[in-house]
Amino acid sequence: MPTLKCTALTKSYGRVKALEDVDLTVEPGRVVGLLGPNGSGKTTLIKLANGLLTPTSGKILINGLEPGIESKKTISYLPERPGLPDWMSSADLTGFYGDFYADFDPAAARDMLSRLGIDMKSKLKHLSKGSREKVQLIMVMSRKAGLYLLDEPIGGVDPAARDYILGTIISNYNPNASVIISTHLIADVEKVLDDVIFINHGRIVLASPADELREKQGKSVDSIFREVFKC
Amino acid sequence: MLGKLLKHELRATAHTMLPILGIMLLVSAMANLGLRFMDGRSVPAVVSVMCTLIVVIFAVGLLAMGMVAVFMMVRRFRDNLLRDEGYIMHTLPVSVHAQIWSKVIVSSLWYALTGAAVVLSCMLAAADIEFIRSVGKALKEFMRLMAEDVKNIELLFEVLALLVLGALSVSLSFDAALAVGHSFPSRKMLISVCVFVAMLVLSQTAAALISKAVNDTGLLELVDSHVTGFMAAWRAVCAYAAALLAAYGAVCYAITAYFLKRHLNLE
Repeated sequence: MPTLKCTALTKSYGRVKALEDVDLTVEPGRVVGLLGPNGSGKTTLIKLANGLLTPTSGKILINGLEPGIESKKTISYLPERPGLPDWMSSADLTGFYGDFYADFDPAAARDMLSRLGIDMKSKLKHLSKGSREKVQLIMVMSRKAGLYLLDEPIGGVDPAARDYILGTIISNYNPNASVIISTHLIADVEKVLDDVIFINHGRIVLASPADELREKQGKSVDSIFREVFKC
Repeated sequence: MLGKLLKHELRATAHTMLPILGIMLLVSAMANLGLRFMDGRSVPAVVSVMCTLIVVIFAVGLLAMGMVAVFMMVRRFRDNLLRDEGYIMHTLPVSVHAQIWSKVIVSSLWYALTGAAVVLSCMLAAADIEFIRSVGKALKEFMRLMAEDVKNIELLFEVLALLVLGALSVSLSFDAALAVGHSFPSRKMLISVCVFVAMLVLSQTAAALISKAVNDTGLLELVDSHVTGFMAAWRAVCAYAAALLAAYGAVCYAITAYFLKRHLNLE
């Protein structure tokens, strides 16, 4: 059963179509790059998958389920915007995630936090912006989820932090799960991707295994992206 | 899952509400001391100004307490479900209904605690030995009245139920206005305020129309002919008010659930 399956998926805001007739299948165990310029529909697709938006038409299924309480149990989502309450400490957050997600591994979270040198008792408001983002990523990656939806996980962070984030994703995700990483910073994520999906103006432009694409075109995914989305 | 949401909601709100209530009680105690200190004595001007200031802060604080509680609960609902924290809250494996109930129950609880704190603050500010004695006497009289007739206990529960229903409906009306206002792409708070005012006007109009319709059916005369005595009349009024409040709360709940489910607009 595919982890994610979209059939003629459309999302409109008034007359504007953010996604149009998207047909897409993501198989288990794949790390997928959802690549496109700003405003191409990446975040809309991710929001539809985790039930933050409802489709205008078409269908989206996660492990055969429509977005809802059951599908949310299997999705681990990193939003584009940091959404953790800043009055909480890392220890509070570990308790919070543990309460709501049966697949959350508090020991893994504590281990990653201690390796970063983050005091479990420090309130998030006392941490730097970068540390807060890392704490959120740690909470997301400490789940043994079926699908990880990571919306711009490396947007707006320095190159060293990018390496840490990608390393955390690759060394912690459940190998039977799928990971969808939405980004426009292709060069940094290219090395970890199994499949790439190019999206533009709400439509899927290209979907292919990353190696096959590189072999066929004799270029890196980053170079192909630059050609496809040339202004 | 509602239990877990309630636990986290209580913790999240307690860390702002408890200090506010604590400060109010502290100011009340200080106002009491200030009033006693100035009572019929000649004190230096600085001390007099300070004591007066504390009493003024107490009076203003007392008037503002209700508004502060409403403001904190409205802000909590907006920040937790309609802004960035919403990305976390709406992707939890819980229903929208559990989310709304957790907010409404905890808001109502804080409204009740704020009310209790206001009463306690007044008592603290006015307290002296004679006052404490008179409160003790009033409590004894209250307990005697309750023990005297089971109807008195029923009456007390009816009044409490009406207050709870009122608090739930008020919370839901704020939530509904925020949910509608925040489904728009911009000027979300302004639209929320307009929606709240519109809801108030519509609900008042609807209540007036319902009352007129009830009156026209002759139901009131029928009830009037069966209702004898103060208690029965009071109960009829309570039942009518409860029905209107429940209907208003149900409409607000439906609006909130619909907009959170179908028109969530976190950006």
